Amino acid sequence: MDLTLGPEETAVRDAIRNVLAERLPLARVRALASAEPGIDEALWREAGGLGWFGLGLPEAAGGGGYGAAEEMLLFVELGRALTPGPWLGTVLAVHALAGMPALAPVLAGTLCVALIDDPADTLGDGARLTGVARGVADAGAAEGFLVVGAGAVRYLPAAGLAVEGRPSLDPTRRLGDVRFAGIAAAPLAADAAALRALATLLAAAEAVGVAERTLEDSVEYAGVRQQFGRPIGSFQAVKHRCADMAVRAEVARSLTTFAAVALAEGEGAAPRHVAAAKVLATDAALANAADNVQNHGGMGFAWEADAHLYLKRAWLLEHALGTRAAHLDTLAAPWRRGE
Amino acid sequence: MHLRFSPAEEAFRAEARAWLEANMPRTPRPTELGARAAYDQAWQRRMYDSGWAGIAWPRAHGGRGATLMEQLVWCEEYARAGAPDISTLFVGLNHAGPTLVACGSEEQKAAHLPPILRGEVIWCQGFSEPNAGSDLASLQTRAAVEGDFLVVSGQKVWTSFAHVAQFQELLVRTDPEAPRHRGITWVICPMDAPGIEIRPITTLTGESDFCEVFYDHVKIPLRNVVGQLNDGWRVAMATLSFERGTAFLAEQVRLSRRVDELVALARATPGPGGRRRAIDDDEIARRLARARAEVDALRAMTYRSVSLAARMGVPGAEASMIRLFFSELVQRIDLLAMDVQGAPAVETPASRWTELYLAGLSQTIGGGTKDIQRNIIGERVLGLPR
Repeated sequence: MDLTLGPEETAVRDAIRNVLAERLPLARVRALASAEPGIDEALWREAGGLGWFGLGLPEAAGGGGYGAAEEMLLFVELGRALTPGPWLGTVLAVHALAGMPALAPVLAGTLCVALIDDPADTLGDGARLTGVARGVADAGAAEGFLVVGAGAVRYLPAAGLAVEGRPSLDPTRRLGDVRFAGIAAAPLAADAAALRALATLLAAAEAVGVAERTLEDSVEYAGVRQQFGRPIGSFQAVKHRCADMAVRAEVARSLTTFAAVALAEGEGAAPRHVAAAKVLATDAALANAADNVQNHGGMGFAWEADAHLYLKRAWLLEHALGTRAAHLDTLAAPWRRGE
Repeated sequence: MHLRFSPAEEAFRAEARAWLEANMPRTPRPTELGARAAYDQAWQRRMYDSGWAGIAWPRAHGGRGATLMEQLVWCEEYARAGAPDISTLFVGLNHAGPTLVACGSEEQKAAHLPPILRGEVIWCQGFSEPNAGSDLASLQTRAAVEGDFLVVSGQKVWTSFAHVAQFQELLVRTDPEAPRHRGITWVICPMDAPGIEIRPITTLTGESDFCEVFYDHVKIPLRNVVGQLNDGWRVAMATLSFERGTAFLAEQVRLSRRVDELVALARATPGPGGRRRAIDDDEIARRLARARAEVDALRAMTYRSVSLAARMGVPGAEASMIRLFFSELVQRIDLLAMDVQGAPAVETPASRWTELYLAGLSQTIGGGTKDIQRNIIGERVLGLPR
């Protein structure tokens, strides 16, 4: 048993962190958000070249030969950097399209795919999709859509679909409504439950990144901001709030790591750990991001400061792949049925 | 990263599980203190005779010398089997013994380590004083050197099991002029020495495991000093990190089982309003689910901490975060149990759940309050200014 990063895992993590720090400082994230399509196409191609989208795909299929644990590391970094764009849908599409001709451009980063999570099959479960998928993250930027239903997974090119884009609460992330007018879409061979579990894990990982980054920002600021002639971090009221942020981040990071490794190893209880990780990682992201606003005082409340961006991203993550309440209900369901 | 244990570790697990299954005491631990101590001692002796005593102690001192992973496996199996916690033997096995291993003389080790491992002696701790709680270094119990003896006068408090203990790990002030961390001495105090008076303290649970201990010119041989005179602070700190990595493992497996039992209770108990089962109440169901998630997180944190310690060779700073999270999680679960059981919570004799709730209030006080834990995390983990 080993839940620490080995040398290779550390190298993967550091490489991703360095590229994102260089290419995507927060000023760039803000600039991207103000214009369509809302993603950095050059970074997208670079990420494709670096093999980020195919980390979890076997080498024989053109991927990096890693697994859910390394994909988790990628999404923690994406969360830390508040990266815009449909990363989740694109990584999932790589899994869903493995072995098919459509895989190549997705893997190469020349085609990005947004995820439509439809666990109740509101778009239908037959041969055709009908209806409107509302609030799809990064729908306007996407060139394809991966629809993960209750039991079936479908891929559709964006051409021919009506997409109405709009800003979201999170200024770095756009949403869209996608209209399906009886479009024929054959189910892929991919396992919908497995893909949804992976997607939920990666959303949790992104939340871990938010929780860690806001902790670090708070600690840095509390160490330099002076009031009453002392750094505010020397006051217990602030110090203890930072300590609570650290515990939340550690809880979120540990459980999400455990869930990732359990998923990668095919452990039977992995879906339960993934649901639990999504709950506690979202708790940590929301609470840490709000505490980070508080720790920055008046500046924390200002639009020009970055603190609110993390909080708003955390709220988008709460509403991606199942809210906390929904996951808790899933965890409690067997007890209520009498299992 | 991986969750698999090695074949050797799995073999160790099977061996531990089989032995515990065959040898664990099946009778409940008696409530009367003397009988309880005898029960703990008999069980410890049984483990000793089969080579399971002192799992984390070095082999040179009679321990098992298990690897960190084996310690983790042992703690998991121990709790899984429902084996009794070491209770009255805790200070000897987990604190005084390891301190002697780290800082004791050969003579002290030879005299004290074997009886501790065999469960023949009970140790207690003499650290806290009425005016030295969180601020332990301000302790005032005075010891003067007179010939070959330390002569001790003063008072200790919150000393668990002092009334059944044979020895005490005692911190005394031997140099009142020195800076406060430098005038303290760590000494082995025989509890039958003349001049010691023990008064039990009844706690809010109604039990009296705690004591006050008074010292009136108590003579302790100088050869009982561990480490050097006036070097007691360093000696006391030497073992603070002992077993940190695995310290809460057995307790967290028990906590996991407590959540299972609480789920069973929620299915058998009427919920708020009395019309349906407690488990059918959304708030209670979600709190139970969150408790389950948090207990899983506790295990994940411990696994990460243990693997970090195995990789680095020393326990990491994350242990203080595990400690704080654990103590507050216990209290959240205890509080949930109070809500689930409903009105029976206030009947006497107290239900097991109410007893746990009351006893659990000490989780964020003993061994460093939650406020002190937050200081430690803020300053030593995050590097915030003092």
